[in-house]
Amino acid sequence: MLKVQEIREIIKLIDHSSIDEFIYESEGTKVKLKKNGVQVTTETVVPQPKPAAPAVETPASVEVNPAPVAPTAKEAKADVEVKESAVNDASLHQITSPMVGTFYQSSSPDTPAYVQVGDKVTEDGVVCIVEAMKLFNEIEAEVSGEIVEILAKDGQLVEYGQPLFLVKAN
Amino acid sequence: MNPTVKYEITKRLLTANGQPLSGQQLADDFGLSRTAIWKHIKELEEEGYEIETIKKKGYVLSSSPDSLQAAKINQYLTTKRFGHTIHYEVSCPSTQPIAHQMAQSGAPDGSIVVCEEQTAGKGRMARVWTSTQGKGIWMSVIIRPEIPPTKAPQFTLVAAVAVTRAIEDIADVRAEIKWPNDLLINGKKCTGILTELQADMDRVHAIILGIGVNVNQQVTDFPEEIQSIATSIQMVTGKTVDRAELVARILHHLEIYTDLYVMHGFEPLKILWESYSCTLGKRIKAIMIHQQIEGLALGITSEGILQVKTDDGQIHGIYSADIEIQN
Repeated sequence: MLKVQEIREIIKLIDHSSIDEFIYESEGTKVKLKKNGVQVTTETVVPQPKPAAPAVETPASVEVNPAPVAPTAKEAKADVEVKESAVNDASLHQITSPMVGTFYQSSSPDTPAYVQVGDKVTEDGVVCIVEAMKLFNEIEAEVSGEIVEILAKDGQLVEYGQPLFLVKAN
Repeated sequence: MNPTVKYEITKRLLTANGQPLSGQQLADDFGLSRTAIWKHIKELEEEGYEIETIKKKGYVLSSSPDSLQAAKINQYLTTKRFGHTIHYEVSCPSTQPIAHQMAQSGAPDGSIVVCEEQTAGKGRMARVWTSTQGKGIWMSVIIRPEIPPTKAPQFTLVAAVAVTRAIEDIADVRAEIKWPNDLLINGKKCTGILTELQADMDRVHAIILGIGVNVNQQVTDFPEEIQSIATSIQMVTGKTVDRAELVARILHHLEIYTDLYVMHGFEPLKILWESYSCTLGKRIKAIMIHQQIEGLALGITSEGILQVKTDDGQIHGIYSADIEIQN
């Protein structure tokens, strides 16, 4: 249980932060705090010329600011942005890892990879294995389509929820 | 022959403790003629059961073949769920794909597949697992715990503890666990466990535990290339073990530890695992697909991950590797 003082302290902290909503849950106790006036966060000032912004925004809004960038530097950046936007492309299906473990593209070092870029996959088609402590998890595509990109390397340790493949669904 | 009736008759013979079973009684119980019962008895005799017929009294079992048929395992079962569905094969490529099929068609929690011989048993990285006919336990157990997939890998350590306890109970010999779940006796491998998962992102549908135990082999039963690294319970104790009894005992511990893990998490199992471990405090080499790490095995984390300290003082978490213990 939280003490009244502790709750007061949390309220103070949140008040001075940019957090709109705060939920705390522990052993059956739930504390939910919400700010009424959301104006605090909407105070967005006119965008400054951005220093090498990551490609999160839509390209349209970036174009609005004609940043004085040398053309060569812009071209060099383009490559990276294309890669990142592929991962963020909502139209592509991501196959993610359901657990932490080692990513294998094939069932053993001597056998060919389950899938390559360009391969067609079906929903229940196996695309890779994730192993942890001799537990082998065959990962299925879950959509039918074409493998666009393989995002993990053979033998690499992957995290829970880490994207492993991008699939262009049919 | 009706397989259910045959199974029930076998079970009754095995559990009669030398008391004769009346043919008439069996006929009445199963709604069959006495001749039909007699035919079942003849069939059992062909399978190696020695059955005496005592006039006016009935059938008495004098000996049963060394097999892992369902009725043989069933007579020793002490579990609530595990081993209550048994799929038996004399010979099959591997018990794992059969168990996968059964799990997909809805086999209940604790269902098992056992066989006398596997012709294509496999280990980690598709290595061959030798499964000599009638000399070991080649088994797959289907477990359906209510856990997310992230909690599934620890099951391989839980299984290792269950098999170690069972071997200790039945054969009075203490095996040691090499991370994550190989069982060694005197430094040689007597049990391998390979686990496969049926799951989606947030739910485990089935864990398929593949367990291979070397029980009654002689050294010459193993291929020459593994004779120096493999052992069996009999090679250590000099005694033949009733494999059906050992299967039942493994299931006994596996059910208890499964429930313990699902209810209380890995912590209590971690203590048990550590008490049987032969890995901790040793210098080891962890061999992975693209690299090797050599160092001191410090311990396992609350998730079962092996922690190795290399000579430069760094600590590495090992998730998947072949471990060599160095002397």
